[in-house]
Amino acid sequence: MENTSLAHHLILAGLLFVLGLTGVLLRRNLLVVYMCLELMLAAATLALVAFSRFNRTMDGAVLVFFVITVAAAEVAVGLALIVALFRKRGTVQSDALTTLRD
Amino acid sequence: MIPFLADIDPVFKVLAPRPADWLSILPEIAVAGLSLICLLQAMFLPKALRSLIPITARVGLVLVAIMALTNGPWVQPTDVASFAGLLRQNLPTDGVRMVFLLSALLTSFLAEGFLRERDAAVADYHHVLLVVTAAFMLLVQSNHFVTFFLSLETAAVGLYVLVGYLRRSEASLEAGVKYLVAGGLSSAFLLMGIVLVYGALGSVGVADSLNFTQIGKALAAQSVANTISPLTLTGIALILGGVAFKLGAFPFHTWIPDVYQGAPTPTTAFLGTASKAAGAFTLVLLATGPFAPIAVKLAPLLGVTAVLTLLVGNLGALATTDVKRTLSLSGVSHAGFILAAVTAALVLPGANAFGYDVEQVIVIYLLAYVIGTFLTAQALVSLPAIEDHRRPQLALRGLLRRSPLLASALGFGIGSLAGVPPSVGFIAKLLVLILLVSAKLWWILGAALIGVAISIHYYFSILREAVVRPTDADEELAPLEIPFGTRFLIGALTAASIIGGLFVLFGR
Repeated sequence: MENTSLAHHLILAGLLFVLGLTGVLLRRNLLVVYMCLELMLAAATLALVAFSRFNRTMDGAVLVFFVITVAAAEVAVGLALIVALFRKRGTVQSDALTTLRD
Repeated sequence: MIPFLADIDPVFKVLAPRPADWLSILPEIAVAGLSLICLLQAMFLPKALRSLIPITARVGLVLVAIMALTNGPWVQPTDVASFAGLLRQNLPTDGVRMVFLLSALLTSFLAEGFLRERDAAVADYHHVLLVVTAAFMLLVQSNHFVTFFLSLETAAVGLYVLVGYLRRSEASLEAGVKYLVAGGLSSAFLLMGIVLVYGALGSVGVADSLNFTQIGKALAAQSVANTISPLTLTGIALILGGVAFKLGAFPFHTWIPDVYQGAPTPTTAFLGTASKAAGAFTLVLLATGPFAPIAVKLAPLLGVTAVLTLLVGNLGALATTDVKRTLSLSGVSHAGFILAAVTAALVLPGANAFGYDVEQVIVIYLLAYVIGTFLTAQALVSLPAIEDHRRPQLALRGLLRRSPLLASALGFGIGSLAGVPPSVGFIAKLLVLILLVSAKLWWILGAALIGVAISIHYYFSILREAVVRPTDADEELAPLEIPFGTRFLIGALTAASIIGGLFVLFGR
């Protein structure tokens, strides 16, 4: 721990967040997009734990548990939707989502 | 209350919930209990009695609404914090509670017939609907980022289910997935914002830096000393961006047309009213609560967003031909109206119109919007062909002949949304415009008036389809049978639309 500071953790969290965001914006496979969304949540969680540790307050560490629970529920619903879409369309490429338009 | 914990540690004596705390959220507990009752009924009731499930849900919602209207310990006329500062109640939060209850009740009326026709489960829909309603009711009372994030996410996950509910419909699934990705992105931004505010304030020694009251105090002190760190400001920007996503404000409105078009129509109506109300009220809660000390910095930002939202929503609606898409983009412009009201409150604290303060004006606006949306949605749901029609607005052709009642429902609904006197929608828009005048925000007022002028055009082109004489090429022209419940509902909503406006003007 001596060699790592709060800034190191935050830079890592920021990099992961931007990496996730880039993936969401650029990738076409819905499963990969969804993984990138989870990466963004994980980045926020990492920053939360780092702040909690270095500010010596427990609130952040407690919030992490809630975030993990929420993310699990979101994954359950999200994967169900993606699987149902795959059964219907036979693909999970976002280019193929063209039913809805004017 | 856990007595032995309170004995062990003095901290628990302060933090442990008191009986009064539980009483204050009795309506929310009742709605959550109701959602479980719906599931239990689906498990144990014989098939012949299944039609009782939506009726139970509605009776329960009406009872909770009556309970929330009567003066019990769950209604707080003044600001009261409960659960050691996790929640905070006052009159506006009680008012917006009613918006959610009303919206859920009307959605249940729309959903029953709609789901039966499509052979989808009615009980499960009601279960998720009630969970989302309870979560929204808690969201607007939260005074702490833990309750805020949790109730927001509970509602969001439930809404993903409701949007993608029709498993056999490509449109519904596609809307569900699109809503999932858009919603997940906004949640990630929101969480990152919360983390940055928590960390930046915590690192300068603010205790409990997730609590709205503490954040407000710390920001007030820092803005006087001019020491607000860029990290805090980034966090606040991310949080407001996440909320703007839910509200559907520019530039985070791009998901709205697709999702509203593809979602089952009852869900569309619920999304457009309850979800938008939650976004709007959360924005008020944050902008006038913890972030009030930096209102000077926020006001121009919100003002520009309001103007752009108004213009983009109205121009977008003008360019579309699909009825649900047009209405969804008109919903974006309504979000612009609400943003304008919030801006007025930030520029001129204590601004009021006819004695209504900004929070009350927003509750009135939202109630008017609920009435208009559900009258319109009722007319759309009763037309069986509208979902799979190549050009859905053609399904409206000849509605006046097929069912004068539905046509008048559509007329009153559209009139209420467009703000035609004497509907409550007109009064609500008037109140917002008065707020803008009293805050001297002429540029936003101009954008709002241009928006209203544009909206008249597309609202009435929808209505024209219903009134226009049908040609021989239109396939379905048989008269429509309207069940008694629907007739009653249309009558009640129309009455509310007219009497509501007069009540707002002369009722005090």
